Amino acid sequence: MRNLNTIDALVADLVPVRRVSPRDGMLITLGLAVVVVTVVTLLFGLRDDIAAGHPAPIVVLRSGALLLLGFAAALAATESAQPAVGAESNGWPWALGAALLFPVSATILVIYEGALPYSDFGGLNCLGISLASALVVGAGLTSWLRPGASVAPERVGWLVGLAAGAFGTFAYSCHCPSESIYYIGLWYSLAVAISAALGRLIVPRLIRW
Amino acid sequence: MARAQAGDSLAYRTLLDECQRWLSRYFARRIAPVQVDDLVQDTLISVHTKRATFDPARPFLPWLAAIARYRWVDHLRKVYRADETLLDEQMASEAEEPGIIARISIENLLVQLPEAQQVAIRLVKIEGLSIAEAAERTGQSEPLVKVNIHRGIKKLSALVESEG
Repeated sequence: MRNLNTIDALVADLVPVRRVSPRDGMLITLGLAVVVVTVVTLLFGLRDDIAAGHPAPIVVLRSGALLLLGFAAALAATESAQPAVGAESNGWPWALGAALLFPVSATILVIYEGALPYSDFGGLNCLGISLASALVVGAGLTSWLRPGASVAPERVGWLVGLAAGAFGTFAYSCHCPSESIYYIGLWYSLAVAISAALGRLIVPRLIRW
Repeated sequence: MARAQAGDSLAYRTLLDECQRWLSRYFARRIAPVQVDDLVQDTLISVHTKRATFDPARPFLPWLAAIARYRWVDHLRKVYRADETLLDEQMASEAEEPGIIARISIENLLVQLPEAQQVAIRLVKIEGLSIAEAAERTGQSEPLVKVNIHRGIKKLSALVESEG
């Protein structure tokens, strides 16, 4: 009986709604990624080889890995706004695996060399710029997710953190003067990992319903 | 649901009636009978507030099942927390009477539980270890540690009530 009253109330409250579309979430995320790349480039400058249209191979590789990870994680996060039993986006672990090649390669080389090579470029700059950029992308994606109905908030928290961290670090990589595999393996990985952990800690409580 | 998203009240009422029947059957197999109506009501409200997240290009039932499962897990979490709070409150009120607290001290209660439940509660709830650490220490799996804590606390609550 109480449920019949509830149904009456819900029907009385019915108004047309605009459907939540993962495509909108992706557009917002990619738009913010473009914004942070533009801001980082304007504030700190673009790498000369990118500006000349001939990026170094390592820059192409790291950019590709970061963009792939960011895109796959953002896609899985936005699709989670439309829940369905048995429908989960599974592409992102492969992209994460590809991105992990950098820290794994760096670790193997460090073990082989026996010492961490000296680097002129400040790692804290990398962390600061990457995480600040990630914050912008992550905040936008989280805001878009709030009216959605994610049924695994912890998993989505990781995904938002990974996507934001990957796009934020990509923004820094457009400026980053280093081409060292060690530098990328350590500082880029740290930036993405910190962003993912922050996403796991902060995002679930913002999207729970 | 696609018509309901466009504001069709008649289609929406029919849909909610069907949802109510399906949800009642779904929850009847999972929770205590007296709680089914409340959970069906909560889930219908969730269906209403999250109706914009349904994609008409996909089947409806997996969407409804995902929402039902989410509300069910949320319900279980609340029941679990309520069990813990009940125990805390009972222990706190007893603490105002030193003579009684001595009689129903936590150690006296704990020894009445099976060994696995005693150890899990001692490590996580008294010594403050994480579930993973307790699992490693005891050799129990993490889900088993959680189950032992849950069952142990429920049993402790019953023991405290019977002592009172």
